[in-house]
Amino acid sequence: MLPIDHYAWNNRWSDHHPGERILLFGGLLLLTVILPPLSSAPLVLIVMSAATVIGAGVPLAAFLRTLAIPGGFLLAGLPFLALSLDFSPGPRLAFSAEGARVALEVGLRSLAAMSCLAGLALTTPVSELIPGLRRVGVPQPVVEIALLMYRLLFVATGQAIAGRRAQEARLGYGTLRRGIRSLGVLAATLFGRSLARARRLEIGLAARGFEGELKVLTPPRALSATRVVLAGTTLLLVGATDLALGRLLP
Amino acid sequence: MHIMEGFLPPLHAAAWTAASLPFLVVGARRIARISREQPRAKLLLASAGAFAFVLSALKIPSVTGSCSHPTGTGLGAVLFGPSVMAVLGAIVLLFQALLLAHGGLTTLGANIFSMAIVGPWVAYGCFRLARPLGLGVAVFCAAMLGNLATYLVTTGQLALAFPDPVSGFAGALTKFGGIFALTQVPLAVIEGLLTVVVVNLLVRYNRDDLNEVGFDRRSGFGQELGAAGRA
Repeated sequence: MLPIDHYAWNNRWSDHHPGERILLFGGLLLLTVILPPLSSAPLVLIVMSAATVIGAGVPLAAFLRTLAIPGGFLLAGLPFLALSLDFSPGPRLAFSAEGARVALEVGLRSLAAMSCLAGLALTTPVSELIPGLRRVGVPQPVVEIALLMYRLLFVATGQAIAGRRAQEARLGYGTLRRGIRSLGVLAATLFGRSLARARRLEIGLAARGFEGELKVLTPPRALSATRVVLAGTTLLLVGATDLALGRLLP
Repeated sequence: MHIMEGFLPPLHAAAWTAASLPFLVVGARRIARISREQPRAKLLLASAGAFAFVLSALKIPSVTGSCSHPTGTGLGAVLFGPSVMAVLGAIVLLFQALLLAHGGLTTLGANIFSMAIVGPWVAYGCFRLARPLGLGVAVFCAAMLGNLATYLVTTGQLALAFPDPVSGFAGALTKFGGIFALTQVPLAVIEGLLTVVVVNLLVRYNRDDLNEVGFDRRSGFGQELGAAGRA
């Protein structure tokens, strides 16, 4: 249903400790945002593609598809950064060299950062990332709600797709007016079903002695020292290469 | 509406995260308190959150043939209240980044600020203000203005980050605002109409559900019906 989620569960790194991937992808994301983009962005793009496709074994097509949609929006938005609006002799739009440089830098940085996000998302299931929120101070009930949401949203998405298909088959989106009505019916139905599901869940849990805490079993996974060192070295290498490149580039 | 990953300079990304934090802390404390008092509230909130995620992924029919998604901020704020919506919205945005590569982690703070904080609060404020004019009018104003407020904030965030080389912040605001205004005003009106359809249906067929999420209390709808019953 959600292709990113499929690869997150089925790649070579799926049964490694999630902390290793957070270190590698999160660290590179931070480097991308902080370092000057002209030299660091191409480097990060190469390292990320290699890690995701060669390292974790995610198909290249899936990696590129994940980048394609936000990448398309990026390409559509960048020209506006390069244009400049001048009010002084009346409004006037003109190309500006300063704006073009900003557009190039932002485009590169954004693309590199997207590749880090895509790498993390394609290799690590959301349910393994959420427990980490506890470490940064998010209260336990909120973490539990987020975990439960992750499980429920697939059920809700399935219902939404089925409902939409049924409505489309009956020409429910033929005209704008009818489309709004159909979508309203769909949303209202989904709301009712969501609450009905919550009630059923509550009865089921109450029958099993629910006292307010949702206990889940996480498979024990040891943090591998080798992989942590490898990820750390990659980060250091990228940082050092970037600094060296920065000296060479004007 | 989503600012994509890596688009904002690091300082801006950090500043917007800091601006969103107090709202998230208040919302999270509230959720912690509610779920201590009634354990079942967790299940309700998680269901509500899953609903919000799906709602934001639905494509709305639009005039120009291009498709777009509802922000859902108006409906969320009216159904669940703005402070809870801040936390649910933040989780939804995190999931959109991690499951759909929509939005981003470094720009999460900025996106939370526009879509999970300003949007719902503006929507809720409009809802309360316009409530005496009737439920339909109030819901329409809430959803439409909530949607527009979200876009105005995003425009402001972009203009602050990328001021125009010649005319500065004002120029950038006009430039980005001009692009959004063309597409966004019709979409905001459609989202307003859509939300009215949804709330009307819910009022007709899902009274118990609305009562359960506290809609009756917030909208003063319960008293109205009660008064009608007594009369």
